[in-house]
Amino acid sequence: MTARLPVATARQSWDWLRAEARDRRGEVAGTVAVGLLAAAASIVPVWALGLLVDRVRAGAGTSAIVGLILVIVVSALVGGGATGLSTYLGGRLGARMLADLRESTVATALRLPALVLDRAGRGDLLSRVGADIAAIGKAVSDVVPPLFSSVLLAVLSLAAMTGIDWRLGLAGAVAVPFYVAALRWYLPRSGPRYAQERAAVAERSQLLVESMQGLRTVHAYRLEDRHLRDVDGASARARDLTVNVFALLTRFGGRINRAEFFGLAALLTTGFLLVREGAVTVGETSAAALLFHRLFNPVAMLVFTFDEVQAAGASLARLVGVQRMPVEQRAGGRRPADSTLSLDEVGFSYDGVTPVLRDVSLRVAPGERVALVGSTGAGKTTAASIAAGLLRPGSGTARVGGVPVAELPAHTVAIVSQETHVFAGPLVEDLRLARPGADVADVEAALATVGAWEWVHALPDGLDTVVGEGGRDLTAAQAQQLALARLVLLDPAVAILDEATAEAGSAGARALEEAAAAALRGRTALVVAHRLTQAAAADRIVVLEHGSIVESGPHAELVAAGGRYARLWAAWESRTPTGADHP
Amino acid sequence: MSRSGGRILRRAITRNGRRLSAGTALVGLFQACEAAIPVLIGVIVDRAVTPGDGTALALWIGVLGLVFAVLTLSYRFGARLLMAAIAEEAHRLRVEVSAKILHPRGVHTDFRAGDLLTVSTSDADNTSYLLDYVPRIVGALVATAVSAVTLLLISVPLGLAVLLATPLVLIVLQISAPLIRKRVADEQEQAGRAASLAVDLVTGLRPLRGIGAREAAAERYRGVSRRSLAATLRAGRTQSIYLTASTTLSTLLACGIAILAGWFALTGRITVGQFITVIGSAQFLVEPFGLLAIVPGLVAEARASADRVARATDAGLILPRGTAAPAAERCELRLSGVRHGPLAGLDLHVRPGEFVGVVARRAADAEALVGLLALPTGYEGTVQLGGVPIDEVDRDHARRLLLVEPHHCDLFTGTIAANVAVHDDRDSLAEALAAAAADEVVDTHPDGLDTPVAERGASLSGGQRQRLALARALLARPPVLVLHDPTTAVDAVTEHAIAQGIRALRHGPGSGFGTVVITSSPALLAATDRVVVLGDGVVTAEGTHADLGAADDSYRRLVLR
Repeated sequence: MTARLPVATARQSWDWLRAEARDRRGEVAGTVAVGLLAAAASIVPVWALGLLVDRVRAGAGTSAIVGLILVIVVSALVGGGATGLSTYLGGRLGARMLADLRESTVATALRLPALVLDRAGRGDLLSRVGADIAAIGKAVSDVVPPLFSSVLLAVLSLAAMTGIDWRLGLAGAVAVPFYVAALRWYLPRSGPRYAQERAAVAERSQLLVESMQGLRTVHAYRLEDRHLRDVDGASARARDLTVNVFALLTRFGGRINRAEFFGLAALLTTGFLLVREGAVTVGETSAAALLFHRLFNPVAMLVFTFDEVQAAGASLARLVGVQRMPVEQRAGGRRPADSTLSLDEVGFSYDGVTPVLRDVSLRVAPGERVALVGSTGAGKTTAASIAAGLLRPGSGTARVGGVPVAELPAHTVAIVSQETHVFAGPLVEDLRLARPGADVADVEAALATVGAWEWVHALPDGLDTVVGEGGRDLTAAQAQQLALARLVLLDPAVAILDEATAEAGSAGARALEEAAAAALRGRTALVVAHRLTQAAAADRIVVLEHGSIVESGPHAELVAAGGRYARLWAAWESRTPTGADHP
Repeated sequence: MSRSGGRILRRAITRNGRRLSAGTALVGLFQACEAAIPVLIGVIVDRAVTPGDGTALALWIGVLGLVFAVLTLSYRFGARLLMAAIAEEAHRLRVEVSAKILHPRGVHTDFRAGDLLTVSTSDADNTSYLLDYVPRIVGALVATAVSAVTLLLISVPLGLAVLLATPLVLIVLQISAPLIRKRVADEQEQAGRAASLAVDLVTGLRPLRGIGAREAAAERYRGVSRRSLAATLRAGRTQSIYLTASTTLSTLLACGIAILAGWFALTGRITVGQFITVIGSAQFLVEPFGLLAIVPGLVAEARASADRVARATDAGLILPRGTAAPAAERCELRLSGVRHGPLAGLDLHVRPGEFVGVVARRAADAEALVGLLALPTGYEGTVQLGGVPIDEVDRDHARRLLLVEPHHCDLFTGTIAANVAVHDDRDSLAEALAAAAADEVVDTHPDGLDTPVAERGASLSGGQRQRLALARALLARPPVLVLHDPTTAVDAVTEHAIAQGIRALRHGPGSGFGTVVITSSPALLAATDRVVVLGDGVVTAEGTHADLGAADDSYRRLVLR
């Protein structure tokens, strides 16, 4: 139903990992070096104890133990320190990569084209920046460091066994094909199940987000039981998939135990034969067996965290998938000749079939204020979005001062749309999104321009009052004023208001309309007008019907012409029971 | 607060008791088998390798195979039981948190939407992991016990050394637990903050895009993400120092035992095979010791999450429990002397059958009135529904009698039909859609009523969302309906049609329905029976729209623009 956001292929995820590792070559090398030291330091005591076995068998005196004690204690101290350090270095490396990953994912998410995100839904994106980042975070802090040290230990242990006698090393290596067979049995079965599990978790998140954000409506219509039932159902599906995947994992574990048994049996039998031939000592065989046995836990750990690694891999694919999406690029920008806004023969269709705009051409002179009028569905919002550069025209061009809007320097055109949002945090920070680093005086001036300074000043902490989600609730009209204040602070040459004074329908109407007028002063302005009073106050009115311009001209002229606008105006006026004066 | 997290953890254990105990027993058996393996290695060296006895080798390798078989099966079934318990517990916590958030009486909580998402997902999961930690702890203790008994049988001083030194090492390592817990909690809080911000920014993406503030937003997220990274690294430093100490101490312990055993072997008190068993066991013990050492960190993490879960599930309810159920027939709404926020003694009486317009000079008055009726709390004066104080009316019943459709309407993922006919009441669906001028929305989409609606209605325009929400409200046919600016995103002609539609649907002859529309739209007000004007939180004028328009200059300025 909704188009899902893309997921990266395994190859793309690996490419990302390799590129990250290349960028941090020094850090990676240091982490590996310390990890090797930790693994080596933990092998030394076993080797030393093997030596001790032979000295015992040779009937050596108690003094034989002294040198070995020293070796063992030193390696324990070095090993402990190196283990801690390598865990920290590995964790730090992972955390830094994770921070870069989440930042670039969010940055990409914020730059996604409007159409793409609306089609994919925000829940998917939110679960990526939420649950997926958490899954990787857990893997990075809990799984990756021990995994890393296990691999190093396994490699060094096999090397040490080979060092004692190559045949012992070979016997130990008997386990390897069993491990490989187990993995080849497991991986093709688990991959699809993990993908199903992820999808179920994403659906669960979407339901949770919608229920929480639409809580008022859920309550008003007594839908809490249904939403809870849906969350319960989605969560139960995810639970069942998790258990199902795990059952597979335990069967995989059985195959790993088989590998351990065959490896150990081969090693002991080979040792038995070699000792009988006199090729190795009992102590050496014992040391090899102990080294091998010691790998059981690290390798088992490796196996049993495999689901987390794979889940993290799936999450990584979902994040890298977002990162690789094409984003809207605003080139460095060509300076426009002036602030004339023009649409030339603009056409547009959302689905490629039904045209929403047909050959729309209009020109707004510098400082002029043009109102777009038309019934719902006439294409007003689409025309405004194209003028603002949010949508690319299907045909024709939108320009400011002769430069296509997509190539303008940042902040030349701004649009305030009907969707208001108060950003969570101190109010001053909400406004500073428009101009980072703006000083308090500028912020106050912008608020004063739109007539909001009075109520902001009256808030308990003034500009520092925490507003938005989790903070102080603002009224719809106040949220609109903040949107207009952001526009003032941004100070674009061309401003577009799309239903930005829709709230003028509610109480505080006059104030909001005045605020909008003040915010537009001195700018080239295109206003999508629902209230005809707003249109009447504009320099010129453009009437859209079914995606085409049907009339254009100043208010008085259009009223006199007796066309479509005149009829709209008559309908508007007839609502006034006393036939009150024009505004 | 910290006690409630403990309660959540204790409950997780008791309510999963059967699976947890059976699973733990099987995992314990698995651990005992694991501990037996070094013993068998020593036996094989002693009985087969040293004397070169092939029969003994075959026999003992067979025993080894048997132990492996038991080990595999006990793990497979034990771990499955435990996983089922973990997944079930996480699911139940998630549903409990959701049920609390969705509770119709409203909850007092200081969590943001992003935080709540984290609590219901990551924190529920983290809490349930306790059911993983418990069997691991038990298994580690079993392994320790088996090894200790083996060592005691070989040599009493060796066994005692293990039994005394182990707890000592663990006690020493416990000292740092509170610091680790604090750092982990800080790490989680910062991560939650970053997640909240990401959610907030993505939610406000359209306004951000409109003013070209996406770079600034990305930069702000970067700042919070870096703070989260710093907290992660701080926690990582503390944990790695702890890991250094625990690894060093547990290795020294195991090696100390091995060295002691080596000395015993050199002096002929134990055999070479026994010496190898001691080394193997001591070496094997490093793992359970190591696990026991990291347990405080793991449990602290589960505990920090359980605290957050408890903060959500223990949050108090806002509204009192009502029991009264006034009749739905000819239900009236009466506010007397209500003080709530900017409302300063408001009187408003909506009689059965009446269509009342409310015009507020200050936006805050309108918001306060709507907010109060949606969630009647924190007010003075009386609010009566069907002649009964609204606090005493059963909440479910109250919402059947009084429906408040907020100005910012929410639609949900699904179809147009599912969004409008929320209670599957499709009989009068066409009628309600027509009255709200939403039939045109249905007609413009090829799939009609089955047209998919994207998350939060994002696939529809503001005007389309508004009309569908209005149709939903009309279809619900509540005895008292409160609408707040229902037509701000529709054009003038449609607005006029909607006003007539509401009137025709709810206020036909003999209708006992009451409707309140809070608006300054003349088209809607002209359709009402009576208009109430609010100024400075009280009623300042009252009359029909026509009379007020004729007689009251300030009213004309307010609505007739």
